[in-house]
Amino acid sequence: MSQKPNVKTVTSKDIRTQLRETVEHFEHFLPAQASIKDFVHHNTLHGFQHLPFAEAVKAAEQYNGASGFLEEKHFQKFYQQGRINSADLTHVLTADKDFNLEQIFYQNQARQISIKDLLLAMLIKPFKNLTDSQLTWQLEELNAQYCFQDDVSHNSRQTLLKSHQADGGEYSEPAAISRLWEACLEKLELEHFILHPEEMLDLSAEQINKILKMTASSEEENSTQHHGVHRKMQKQAAIELGELLAQVGKTITLRGLLIALTGEDILDEIRPLMIRYVSSYLDQGMASWHQDRDKGFYQSWRTNAHNDLIWLFETLPDWHDTLESLPDESIEVVIQELQYLDLPQNRWSHYLDCLVMELPGWSGMFLWRHNNPGYAGLKDIPVEMMDYLAVRLILERLFAKRLCAEQWQFDASLDMFRWYFRRHRSEFIVRYTLFNKRLPEYLTSQAQRQLERARHGNVETNSWQSLGDIFWTWLHTPAAGGNASYSIFDHAWKLFYLAQHLGMSGAMVRSLSTQQIDTVFSLLGQLDKDKRGFIWLQAYEHHYREQMLNMLVNNKNRGTWKTRSKRPEAQTVFCMDDREEAFRRHLEELNPAIETLGAAAHFNVFIDWKGVDDEQSSPLCPVVAVPAHEIHEKPAPNYLGAYTVHKARYDLRHKLKNLLHQESHRNLLSTAVLIALSAPASLMLLIGKIIFPLKTGQSIDKSIHDFESDIPTDLVANCDTPLDNPGPENRQIGFTDHEQADRVETLLRNMGLINEFAPLVVIFGHGSISQNNPHLAAYDCGACSGRHSGPNARTFAFAANRPEVRAILSERGITIPEDSWFIGAEHNTCDESIIWYDLEKVPQTLQTNLENLKKQIFQASLFSAHERCRRLASAPKKPSLQQAFDHIVGRSYDFTQARPELGHATNAIAFIGRRSLTQSAFLDRRGFLISYDPTTDPDGTIVERLLLANGPVGAGISLEYYFSTINNDIYGSGSKITHNVSGWFGVMDGTNSDLRTGLPRQMIEIHEAMRLQVVVEAKVELLTEIYSRQPALQELIGNGWILVCAIDPDTGDLSEFKIGEGFVPWQGEVSQLTVVEKSTDWYDGLEYPLAPALIAKKGEY
Amino acid sequence: MLAKFIYLLPLLPLLAAFWIGLSYIFGHNRGESGEKMTAKMASVASLSALILILIIDLQAMLIGVPGSVTITNWLSSGNYQINISFYLDTLSLSLLTLISLISFLTIRFSINYLHREASFQRFFIILLIFSAAMFLIVSAGNMVLTFVGWEMAGVCSYLLIAYNFDRPIPTTNASRIFITNRIGDAGLIASIVLSFMWIGDIEWHKVLQQPNSLSSLQLDLIIGGFLLAALVKSAQFPFSPWISRALEGPTPSSAIFYGSLMVHSGVYLMLRLQPLLQQNETLLVIIAIFGLITALYGYFTGLVQTDVKSAFIFSTIAHVGLMFLLIGLEFFVLASWYLVLHAIWRAYHFLHAPSQMHNINQAARSVPAWLAQFKILHTASLQRFWLDNISNWMIVRPMNALAHDAQSFDEKIVSRLIGKPKQQYIISSLANWEKNKDTLQMTDKAAMVQGHGLIGSFMEWLASLMEWFEEHLILKSGGEGLLDLVQKIGTNLQKIENLLNQPRYLMILVSITFIIII
Repeated sequence: MSQKPNVKTVTSKDIRTQLRETVEHFEHFLPAQASIKDFVHHNTLHGFQHLPFAEAVKAAEQYNGASGFLEEKHFQKFYQQGRINSADLTHVLTADKDFNLEQIFYQNQARQISIKDLLLAMLIKPFKNLTDSQLTWQLEELNAQYCFQDDVSHNSRQTLLKSHQADGGEYSEPAAISRLWEACLEKLELEHFILHPEEMLDLSAEQINKILKMTASSEEENSTQHHGVHRKMQKQAAIELGELLAQVGKTITLRGLLIALTGEDILDEIRPLMIRYVSSYLDQGMASWHQDRDKGFYQSWRTNAHNDLIWLFETLPDWHDTLESLPDESIEVVIQELQYLDLPQNRWSHYLDCLVMELPGWSGMFLWRHNNPGYAGLKDIPVEMMDYLAVRLILERLFAKRLCAEQWQFDASLDMFRWYFRRHRSEFIVRYTLFNKRLPEYLTSQAQRQLERARHGNVETNSWQSLGDIFWTWLHTPAAGGNASYSIFDHAWKLFYLAQHLGMSGAMVRSLSTQQIDTVFSLLGQLDKDKRGFIWLQAYEHHYREQMLNMLVNNKNRGTWKTRSKRPEAQTVFCMDDREEAFRRHLEELNPAIETLGAAAHFNVFIDWKGVDDEQSSPLCPVVAVPAHEIHEKPAPNYLGAYTVHKARYDLRHKLKNLLHQESHRNLLSTAVLIALSAPASLMLLIGKIIFPLKTGQSIDKSIHDFESDIPTDLVANCDTPLDNPGPENRQIGFTDHEQADRVETLLRNMGLINEFAPLVVIFGHGSISQNNPHLAAYDCGACSGRHSGPNARTFAFAANRPEVRAILSERGITIPEDSWFIGAEHNTCDESIIWYDLEKVPQTLQTNLENLKKQIFQASLFSAHERCRRLASAPKKPSLQQAFDHIVGRSYDFTQARPELGHATNAIAFIGRRSLTQSAFLDRRGFLISYDPTTDPDGTIVERLLLANGPVGAGISLEYYFSTINNDIYGSGSKITHNVSGWFGVMDGTNSDLRTGLPRQMIEIHEAMRLQVVVEAKVELLTEIYSRQPALQELIGNGWILVCAIDPDTGDLSEFKIGEGFVPWQGEVSQLTVVEKSTDWYDGLEYPLAPALIAKKGEY
Repeated sequence: MLAKFIYLLPLLPLLAAFWIGLSYIFGHNRGESGEKMTAKMASVASLSALILILIIDLQAMLIGVPGSVTITNWLSSGNYQINISFYLDTLSLSLLTLISLISFLTIRFSINYLHREASFQRFFIILLIFSAAMFLIVSAGNMVLTFVGWEMAGVCSYLLIAYNFDRPIPTTNASRIFITNRIGDAGLIASIVLSFMWIGDIEWHKVLQQPNSLSSLQLDLIIGGFLLAALVKSAQFPFSPWISRALEGPTPSSAIFYGSLMVHSGVYLMLRLQPLLQQNETLLVIIAIFGLITALYGYFTGLVQTDVKSAFIFSTIAHVGLMFLLIGLEFFVLASWYLVLHAIWRAYHFLHAPSQMHNINQAARSVPAWLAQFKILHTASLQRFWLDNISNWMIVRPMNALAHDAQSFDEKIVSRLIGKPKQQYIISSLANWEKNKDTLQMTDKAAMVQGHGLIGSFMEWLASLMEWFEEHLILKSGGEGLLDLVQKIGTNLQKIENLLNQPRYLMILVSITFIIII
């Protein structure tokens, strides 16, 4: 680091290193979402993955305030629906070492209540903290002290009434409940008066004395000094001031401090400026005019700021002085600004953490570009996170300074705040209480007036004092919470509520010992929001896991292709994607002689793909990898002439499109001509697309097709002159024979497909095409960085068909018979269409097989569409196959659709093993299916590879859905309908919001927020060994980001992985599953998630 | 003549909106299951409106435009008459067709797009009222009806900008826009009043026929009011900033309000005034200048916009500015043609906004090098020529200060003069109590109750006396019997005191005093 000599050097060199490390650390909590065109699913809390799940969500909550679990009301609803039952809860609670479930809590002749009963009652019912006014409402308006709460079950009511009767009371609801309420109050030594806020200051002398006594410190008790209260208030003010200032750089920034003291948010002024500057800098192609982007963000901003007149109109007199005194290096700016703030150096890092979290989306995007230099060809635009911090801090200071000058005529530094408020403690208490605590309305308006007057400088000196005293008094009245150990609206109410649900009468409550009462509240205390959420989540997962494991037991020896005793009619390889599960199942139902397999759809061919029409190549491989090989598509030899025509027309069409969608808003006069000319056609298109989406879409596609006349193409995938050391910087075009063989071999061995090759082996990549959808990439192939994986399938098939490659493979023990042919294809998961590649190269002898297969695949896509319709609200109910298909295709063409398809919304489980485990079972499109044959992998190298490669991908998808579902406001991106695409890298709500990361609400509506279950077909010993040597898996599995079970390949015994214990045998119950003739019998007409069923087998394979 | 059914045009969507609202109140169409009903109602209403206007169009083509259609008299007072009347000439008929078509398409678009939104019903109600408002603006036979439509459109836009009313940014923007639009309304009202005064009539067909009866100043003022309204509604310079704040609502509403229909209503108003404008060269020049400035403003600002909706909206106002320019140059026909084509194109463009980045395959063309040199112009464009900041500086902050002064005046002078009690409470604070306990002085008790004005002081004294009485006789007395007795008295006194503290008794007391004095 080159430090300018004239810069004030009160800081050590260490501080610069520390700041740089802080920036590195940002990625642990800022959203790490890529630019939206390259959306790839990832664990939203990726930065917290080193922590156990429950701790990680808690840690994240400290940064963003978002709870890590679904709201409890949803779980309680699931409980009512039977999707979670008490057995599930008991299972989870038993495993929890904090509780001793069997311990007896209460016992008399008739009843026995265990800790378990207590805990279940506390979980199943909503235990809300009431506020004083809510309690008043309950008692005054709802007569809660005379009748049962609405949600008390019939059984509990009966039990309570009977035991009340047994205790000598009258068998009546009002009598029993009012006795209970009295008992609860009495037990906690509480009295209840109904107080209204206005009466709270109307204290009796007795109460006053009590409060004074309670608040008195030991030395004061004997003192006879006057005005003790005022002094106490001052003392409290000093303490609270200290606490508040200590929060700066811990949980809040200067902005937070100002909100706490003035209620005004300077971010409202900074946000638009920051968004304009940052988005103009990061822009990937939307705007036509940028400035000085080659000099870095900070310098670019300085140029703008220098010319900016905002200081004049927004009264920022220091603007130019500040600009001129700025150092040239952004890191020096950061140091200078933090020094200016008088913040102790040890809090700097954390201060910056808080600062970037004020606009997490924008900060995250900036950081992502910082970490991905040269993204999208923007090589000349350096993105340095330190620049962002510098600009953000300068703006913060300027606007904070203005606000402070208006309010107090002092400068915005912590020392000034400390100095001023130590001398104005009453003012502090008034401000702090007003903006941070609950006050009744009449006090709030008093305080607001006072502040308003103070701002205009006409405030009497002692009015702060008297208002401060009033606030202090109010805060110590019983209604405001007071200092009592038990409170009515918290403790008594909860006890009352709990007793009703347990059916405990007043007499029973009265007979509780102090210790028992303590037990109740300590259990309630232990069951805090996070703990409850985690218990519910585990119970929810347990319920689903039991169903699935039960299915595996039931399906034992039923699934086909456990061993290939004969040659299948065809083999089809799909992506492991949960969306392909239904497709495969229906295909197998249509023709049991077809074997289906699953693998990550890069098919081990990591390539940089350049299609025949593409200007640039794009990487088709997992996002963590950078391909070293390029594959090109070229026109087939006889079509070079046709290609020229095609290319010209393709370019023309895109030029027109660019003209219409981009030039039409860029220019003035030429645009006017353009608009006038294109308006009539656009009207026709608009009518067509809105009223008849399917017909219009199809005819547009057809006319494009006719106009451009697609031509057959070949791959440039062979490499005769290999490079010495191909890599990301030194890419080789095509693969050598050996490289091809390596890739083919790896995939085939991964899937266990090393014998009995069918005459036709089809490899299906996938992608999704929909209209008007900024989140398009989120529906594509996650294994290919959110792009279409058809080219990978095609390249794979190309390699596997080559005799040279087959010869090498055969040397390595995989013999592909001469009459086997590989075909590449791409499945469009949105409209269920299939693109077939290179069919003209299929040998003549296989043409009949091909025709049949294509027919069956088409049938399967009809069924897949049919099954998808059941979860779509706007789809026809119980549709015919054709209706369903038309709906699905129409949907994909419909530019008014915010839900073209539901994506991975139903993912929940992954199977790594032979298809026979799950074949002929209905998995409801919820499973990732990864083919793996343990019998070909005695030492576990393959399963290790699969776990390492697919574990993070599956976890990424599942956890992104999880977090976007549980809190769509913070982890997700809210509703699509107000989204506004910014700079091609993200979406905002409207024109002036933070960038919204995560999944939009339209994608997660039907998702069930649970962690991914992974079932691996392998020996437990093998898996334990792999686990113990792979830190990546230890992090993922050991911290509970995914849940793992194992099924023994020989015996079919099941085991569950328990954190801290390893694999233990599964001890769940086995029950019979329904067997249905075909999938449609099980799902048709039903909208909700379905339990597994078995599908009757047809024939022996 | 079907033209006499023209009132159905605004009425149909209004009725549909009313019906949806009513069903919602009675719980018939709430939630997801109610969406179908709402969607059907909205589609039927807007489709019927479209069909109706198409039939009227057909008839107009065959037998000529209907001209002014008076349905009934609405208000009449002396010479002032306000009719429910419509004015159907080529201009209004073609715009009505355009509006009904685009409204219908937007409603169809929104049915899928807003599926499962909690505010589905609300959105459609507003959209329907908005289309009724647009129909009114364009077809109204008199200025007051135009104004009614004008206001309805304003309210709808306010409600849709604040669609996400749980977030602060949309609500702040909505309020600011609503207030900005009041400036234009003032212009419109002024023109209506002046027309009444000077022309004696507000029916468009009459006003437009007799421009010569007015002096040129009178004409200037009347048109000036309309021009102000038009400039604000069409977001022309210097009122442009409001429209860039308006894009907080759902995409289809951004499309129909700001991209396609409402932004053109100012242009429509100018076109409507064509016969008057042609009399007045000066105003034409002014219109042209505003149009030109806006066109340039929109163009330069648009060049630096990085988000789709903002980029589109600045382009939109630039082109609306071009329309004003055309009008200023007296190309009225060209302007109206361009209005129609532009409205169609913007509807298409805005509805495709979410996929703009997928519809193109290369970055926007950079500005030419000579332009890029003007760095200050870039900053100005990025900051939207500081129009928002300038209005903060010139209007918002001075206005706030004024409001504060008025409040102080109210509190310190008016309240005291009328003796209105300030908001009070019985025991102010523990500190107060403690102080009183220590000193036991009557004078200190004053803080317990505070009154204002002469009567207030009297009441204060009375209350303090009673307080003292209560304190000494009840709280400090030892004897049981006495305590009971005194307690009773004390309670009664407390009651009286409470009663006396209430304003109505104060009023009675005041009245009694007056009676005695008299």
